[in-house]
Amino acid sequence: MQTAESRAGHTPLLEARGLSKDYGDTRALDSLDLTIAPGEVYCLLGPNGAGKTTTINLFLGFVAPSGGQALVSGLDVATHDRETKQRLAYIPEQVMLYRNLSGLENLEYFAALGGRGSVGRERLTEILVEAGLERDSVDRRVSEYSKGMRQKVGIAIAIAKEADALLLDEPTSGLDPKASNEFSALVERLRKRDVAVLMATHDLFRAKDTGTRVGIMRYGRLVTELSTDEIGHADLERIYLEHMHD
Amino acid sequence: MIRHIVRKEFTDVVRDGRFRWCSVLVGSLLLISLGHGWVQARNAQQEHAAAQATAREHWETQGEKNPHSAAHYGIYAFKPRLALSFVDEGVDPYTGTSVWLEAHRQNDFLLRPAQDATAAQRIGALTAAQVLQHLVPLLIILLTFGALASERERGTLRQLLATGIGRRELAAGKALGISGALALLLVPAALVGAAALVVASPGPAASPLARGTVLAGVYLGYFTAFLALSLAVSAWARSARTALVILLAVWVVNGLVAPRVAVDLSKWLHPTPSAFEFARTVQSEMSTGVADISPPDRDASTQRLLAEYGVERVEDLPINAVGVYLQESEEFGNRIFDRNYGALWDTFERQGVVHEMLAVAAPLLAVRTLSMGLAGTDVEQHRHFATAAETYRRDLMRQMNGDMTENSLTGDFSYAAGAELWESVPPLQYAAPTLGWVLGNRILSLLVLGAWLAGAILAAVARVRRAEVG
Repeated sequence: MQTAESRAGHTPLLEARGLSKDYGDTRALDSLDLTIAPGEVYCLLGPNGAGKTTTINLFLGFVAPSGGQALVSGLDVATHDRETKQRLAYIPEQVMLYRNLSGLENLEYFAALGGRGSVGRERLTEILVEAGLERDSVDRRVSEYSKGMRQKVGIAIAIAKEADALLLDEPTSGLDPKASNEFSALVERLRKRDVAVLMATHDLFRAKDTGTRVGIMRYGRLVTELSTDEIGHADLERIYLEHMHD
Repeated sequence: MIRHIVRKEFTDVVRDGRFRWCSVLVGSLLLISLGHGWVQARNAQQEHAAAQATAREHWETQGEKNPHSAAHYGIYAFKPRLALSFVDEGVDPYTGTSVWLEAHRQNDFLLRPAQDATAAQRIGALTAAQVLQHLVPLLIILLTFGALASERERGTLRQLLATGIGRRELAAGKALGISGALALLLVPAALVGAAALVVASPGPAASPLARGTVLAGVYLGYFTAFLALSLAVSAWARSARTALVILLAVWVVNGLVAPRVAVDLSKWLHPTPSAFEFARTVQSEMSTGVADISPPDRDASTQRLLAEYGVERVEDLPINAVGVYLQESEEFGNRIFDRNYGALWDTFERQGVVHEMLAVAAPLLAVRTLSMGLAGTDVEQHRHFATAAETYRRDLMRQMNGDMTENSLTGDFSYAAGAELWESVPPLQYAAPTLGWVLGNRILSLLVLGAWLAGAILAAVARVRRAEVG
């Protein structure tokens, strides 16, 4: 796998420059610097409150930074809200969909809002199947879907958008091992299409397995950054736990 | 981009079983109340027309008698039900629709359905206006309270905004989608109402289509204000439940509390006498006169006529001095009536202004005033007809007294006029006020409703822009 350094010729798709966020007196994110190049999967590890979701929210423009910049393809999120979002896809911990619509209708809706309204129903059905949904489920109302099935629709939404970068917030939380594996395989396919992926997760195994780089966060700070090529599962767990002790 | 949101929102709402049940209920009530109102208005109009014809026939066939006796015999006048009165019956059930026109008296109106209504009917009387003013806003609240608050609670708002769609586009799309679903309910009702108006108008024409169009515009503005207000609250509230509670409180204040407060406050600020007090005052002033209005002096009147005609005895007068005196009594009575009824009507109008001003706190008050005005069933149009009927009565009395004066001599009680005189009295030709007259009287309500609409839209725009993602 290539590292960010080996892709130095590329403009980073996702970049944080001294990115900070304060909520009142609490510093949720403290001078984060990171770059994620096309074809990279960057996993942010850390306990609750470490600043992982805040980082994703800053890239999505859902909150304004207290300092620094979040850049997508070199564009500042704070001043190019729409343009940067058009380059991003986002899958939250719980993909929430419209219960009265089918999986296909949900995908049609989100794809259209993402600027992919011209994609036909057949192609969208193929994308749902590619995301792991059974073909005979695509026309069923989402109210009948399991969490795993909703998560697959979320992946399909990301695929259909053909975004340059993907933001994942605890995407495998609550999924069974098989579904988590399928999810990792999908992320790998997107990586091979040169999509830059930023994934916030608690799952050390998934981070090592799916990521190209891992960043460990604590108290809003990025305390270390590792290449997954250079460490094993046990190393990652040990390093992680070392950083979690005061 | 917005069209996708509109289509999705429309589909989502229409597929929602709660919407289907509510719309069936509200739609049924609307159609039933429209149908019932139309049948009632048509029946009332037919009954009035028949009664008016009978009254006219009785007048013309009353036989030979002294014209002043004919003036006492009198005739009924019926207030026509305007075409749109089937939508909003306004104050008609309380003010009455017919009046007996006779000598020396300006009578109160009769035929007040509210007087004959049972207690249950008073509580449960349902008109299309009530459905439009109370139930449709409730339906709008139920459809809109979660527009943004529920999206935020469910987590879909994050996903939606992550696609690149703006908050305003999202809110506008939702508003249009919900409007589309509501249109499924309201457009058929509006078409049924328009068809009823065009095909078989229950009442006489007074620019019914123009009035109907403006009435539709007023309700459209009212619904849009509620939709925008609901969106603003949905964007602001921390949860869908909070948004619902706030909006239901607004609905209760608007529909239940404010009208009651408006009635009590307007009566407190501008009290009106009871019917008994009013009648007693008029009777007292008719007996003794008031400071600047004195009863006619029969002797002085006779002396003036003797001087005018240059004769010394009443018997030598070429006219009937009693007829002159009776007309002078009428003129005196008219001044007393104008003084008392004028003050009463002015008080009603001042009470109406209080209602219109309180619409700043509750748009229903503005809509109700405009609705009654456009339907021709408000106090002002009742006054308009009452004034026309009173003018007709005075002309009739003048004609009867004039005929007696000119065609008989003083002391000649044998004079009797016949059908020729009765038929020469033209029937009451009432022209209802124009749309411009109605709107001119209701500028304040129009302005307040416009302010509500603009304020609600501005609030929605401001709150949506700052809506938290959650």
